[in-house]
Amino acid sequence: MTLLEFARGPGMQWALVIFLVGVAWRLVGTFLIARRRDLSKPKGTAYVKAGARSMIMRSIPPHELEKNIQFQHLTGYAWHLGFFATLLLFGPHVPFFQQFLGFGWPTLPNIVVLVIAGFTLAILIALVVRRIIHPVMRQISTLDDWIAVFLVIIPLVTGFLSYAHIGVMGVRYETLLGLHILSIEALLVWFPFSKLMHLFFTFPSRYQIGVSMERKGVKA
Amino acid sequence: MSAVATDIQRLREELRDRGATVKTTELPPAERVARVKEVFARRLDGNMATYLETCLHCGMCAEVCHFYEATGEGKYTPIYKVEPLRRFYRRELAPMGWLRKLVMRDITPADLDEWQKLVYDACTQCARCDMICPMGIQISPMIAVMREAIAEAGMQPAENKALAKEVLEKGTLMGVGPEDYRRVAADLAAQGIVVPLDKPKARVVMLMSAMDAMLFTSAIAATAKIMNRLGLDWTFRTNAGDAAVFDWTSGDERAKAAALRKIVAETVDAGASTLIVPECGHGYAAVRWDGANVVGAELPFEVLSISEFVGREIEAGRLKVKPLPAGKSVTYHDPCKIGRWSGVFEEPRSALKALGVEIREMESHAKTNYCCGGGAGLVLNERANKLRAGAFHIKMREADATGAGSVVTACGHCRMTFIAGAQHANWQKPIESLVELVAANLA
Repeated sequence: MTLLEFARGPGMQWALVIFLVGVAWRLVGTFLIARRRDLSKPKGTAYVKAGARSMIMRSIPPHELEKNIQFQHLTGYAWHLGFFATLLLFGPHVPFFQQFLGFGWPTLPNIVVLVIAGFTLAILIALVVRRIIHPVMRQISTLDDWIAVFLVIIPLVTGFLSYAHIGVMGVRYETLLGLHILSIEALLVWFPFSKLMHLFFTFPSRYQIGVSMERKGVKA
Repeated sequence: MSAVATDIQRLREELRDRGATVKTTELPPAERVARVKEVFARRLDGNMATYLETCLHCGMCAEVCHFYEATGEGKYTPIYKVEPLRRFYRRELAPMGWLRKLVMRDITPADLDEWQKLVYDACTQCARCDMICPMGIQISPMIAVMREAIAEAGMQPAENKALAKEVLEKGTLMGVGPEDYRRVAADLAAQGIVVPLDKPKARVVMLMSAMDAMLFTSAIAATAKIMNRLGLDWTFRTNAGDAAVFDWTSGDERAKAAALRKIVAETVDAGASTLIVPECGHGYAAVRWDGANVVGAELPFEVLSISEFVGREIEAGRLKVKPLPAGKSVTYHDPCKIGRWSGVFEEPRSALKALGVEIREMESHAKTNYCCGGGAGLVLNERANKLRAGAFHIKMREADATGAGSVVTACGHCRMTFIAGAQHANWQKPIESLVELVAANLA
């Protein structure tokens, strides 16, 4: 079995199993932890509306709060959009999804996606540098932060190498493609154990704070 | 130095001296860690678990924290201040804990030494960080858990220990108790202000703050004038103790619960339908949000802050005020525990509008307001002097930018911080109390 065959076959199957079981384990395990009953009389009780509002409005903070975080805010949006655009709208990726889902969708021209992926990679590298030099990021970063960003960068790098058929030290295209797929599998395997889980936790957390602050009469 | 600023400095020194003489048994390091963990295990719930699972380490919370802004030091990042709680959760309670235990070290006694300073000297529990987190993480309740855990390990600042001991053993705060409240009432009566004390039954119970009794008897006089003008059936209950519930900030849960039970019992005994907390942010948040949880049942009365109450009475047309001479402009400082913690934003502004003053809002106001720097007991914490001054500088800058003639607030704790901070920075902006401004201009 070649590296590419392993990556496309058992590698992907095991990565998906670990991803799905791990995500379910962590979500269920967290949401089953009991909530404390609050006996104080709430000021507001429109909980669903408040929770939904926070789920949206947390993306658009008030100016006086946002002015100090504009760089993180804009780069955060930019690289997430770039990453998912590359993943979902790149021509060679869609047939891969099609074999699982049974249907495909329109893609962007390859050159557009390559430019987007290039920008995404550049932003991620800038954020890594920032994590190294910024006093706050230095203070709060953990091993998970470094592993997560590494695992997000590597698929982009191996993707570029595969697309451009750039052989490194005589490595064949098929091997590069295999490494590209394996890098995605590494991301899937690490996902449930890491901060990447924010993909599933962000909106419940935003909903929670919306409800909590609604009790106190504050739109948050 | 103004008389009040001198008194505040005297209070700080007195508190420091009390702290130096308080007798406590130092626990062995392992026992401290065990006690901290016991509190974490008891307090962590599903909401906190979700928050702790969600944190990305993006650092945005630092950018809205006045202590980080003032110092540029990463250790003041709000989410970092709850790191031991996160560590405990992730190792011992989280679904992936069994795995993380293999790679993540446990909490150490040295951690507690470090975080004791971070949560007591470098956080006012202002909750501004709660407003920015893109993940929607509510950090301030977790700071409260950190404080409680550190207190349980006997590691809170000595001043706080002294105060908690006094509350539990004598029921007074800084030596102020029922006798002092009676003395204040007698002084006011001599000025012709009727202060009904300890009526067996009353529709409204008003709390008295030890800080007001020591520093701002003018606020007590103003409150009495307003209540009398409204013709309410009201009383001060001297045995209800101090409105500030200082132990809400000190982290000593037993002392806090004792203070709250007394307040609730006195209000119930009076058969009151309303309990009004004077200009005291901590007291209001403590009674409003923790009172029912401490006694284990919904409170049979409504809890209002005086600024909320006065604003509502003016809005309803029951309390009439005279407009002030044209040209007076003010900026309103929202006390964190009354504003961001308790949603009272509009009522104080309604009162100011009725007084005809021009309200010039600071860039950060209402739910994004900057704390004065003295909340959660920091105003009396000498170790926090430098940090507090840095935070106060940010507040001054925002207030100055409005060009308003004065700063109005509705919390004695904030007022103390402003007066002491202004003295320290030689800042000339007058600091006014909302309730005093209203009482001085009753129609």
